[in-house]
Amino acid sequence: MHIPDGFISPQTYLPAYAVAAGLWAYAARRVKRDLDADTLPFLAAYTALSFVLMMVALPLPGGGTAHAAGIGLLAVSFGGWMGFLAISLVLAMQALLFGDGGITALPINALAMGFTGSFAALAAWKLFGRLNENVALFLAGWISIALPSVLVALVLGIQPLIAQSAQGAPLFFPFGLEITLPAIVLPHLLVGIAEGGLTVLGYRYFARLRAKLAT
Amino acid sequence: MNRDRAALLLYLIAVLAATLIHDPVWLAAGLGLALLASGRAAAGILRRALLAVLAFNLAISLSYAVMAWLQDFSPWQTLIRLNLRVLLLTVLSFLFIARANLFRALDFSQGLTYVLGLAYSQALIFRRAHEDFRLALDSRSLRRPRLIDRYRASAAATAWFIEKSLHAATQSAQALRSRGFFND
Repeated sequence: MHIPDGFISPQTYLPAYAVAAGLWAYAARRVKRDLDADTLPFLAAYTALSFVLMMVALPLPGGGTAHAAGIGLLAVSFGGWMGFLAISLVLAMQALLFGDGGITALPINALAMGFTGSFAALAAWKLFGRLNENVALFLAGWISIALPSVLVALVLGIQPLIAQSAQGAPLFFPFGLEITLPAIVLPHLLVGIAEGGLTVLGYRYFARLRAKLAT
Repeated sequence: MNRDRAALLLYLIAVLAATLIHDPVWLAAGLGLALLASGRAAAGILRRALLAVLAFNLAISLSYAVMAWLQDFSPWQTLIRLNLRVLLLTVLSFLFIARANLFRALDFSQGLTYVLGLAYSQALIFRRAHEDFRLALDSRSLRRPRLIDRYRASAAATAWFIEKSLHAATQSAQALRSRGFFND
């Protein structure tokens, strides 16, 4: 889902930076206000956690693997804004310190995975939490992958329409929506199942650990 | 403006230029310039960049070539431009990482530098631990681990990372509070 550099046009990434910058500034203020002096170290620790969760391979039946993102787990455990900031920091770290991902794709990835993923997970958690906690957690994890994959597919799929040469050839990502939507969304609907499982188990473990640390 | 902040600014301008230029000749010239600026590290940076983009770009390029063949149009101009641009942007990123210190470039914000520094050091520790977990599973398995064993290994690793990050956050907060970081 994570878009690399060079596939997104400036007509897309420059406005996305403007939107993301506003949301990052607001999120930083919210996180500072909502939490106490522990905010900074906690944010750093959860950023590192989501970084490593993206490295944990979730085995899929048939031999393949999918990579967790921990978006749902972070959002339901620490709130949407914290999740958004942590995922954005991971993406920035990957792009500027590890050379993975890209600086032009950063705002799109942050808005899709960090913002939409976190708040969709939080909405699912709040909406279904009263009915059944495990189902709500699973759905939070699943939607935190499924919805961003739709956004990423849309952003990539519109590139040939908004950036093309005088001869009509695509200047950036060359495939349209008829290809990006099934190619990106369908596998992520399955990856979301693994992410949902991780969210249920991770949340339960987190809650137990926090209770143990508090005593 | 310090040297690293100037490097960050230069990198961002170069990235913007690389996405505004569409002529493959100019993109190739930009790639040549970036490699020249890399000096002795040029071969290493180019090799790393090629390895980083190989899988994704190969998949995109082959799919586009097949589509072009089926729909009977020439894909070469698009493929050359796309691959040159991606390679140029990746070389620029690796050049920036090799030459500049991101923490000094962002030192205008104490909070941002602090979070990034702490998260980065923690991420490096976690990355090493993740590799250790992977090697541990491999070394304990005579044959390819079963699906259930791989699930168990992933779950154990995730639990370890969650526990470690909670402890690290608590410890850092206590250490910073005791040193008066939050009183400034």
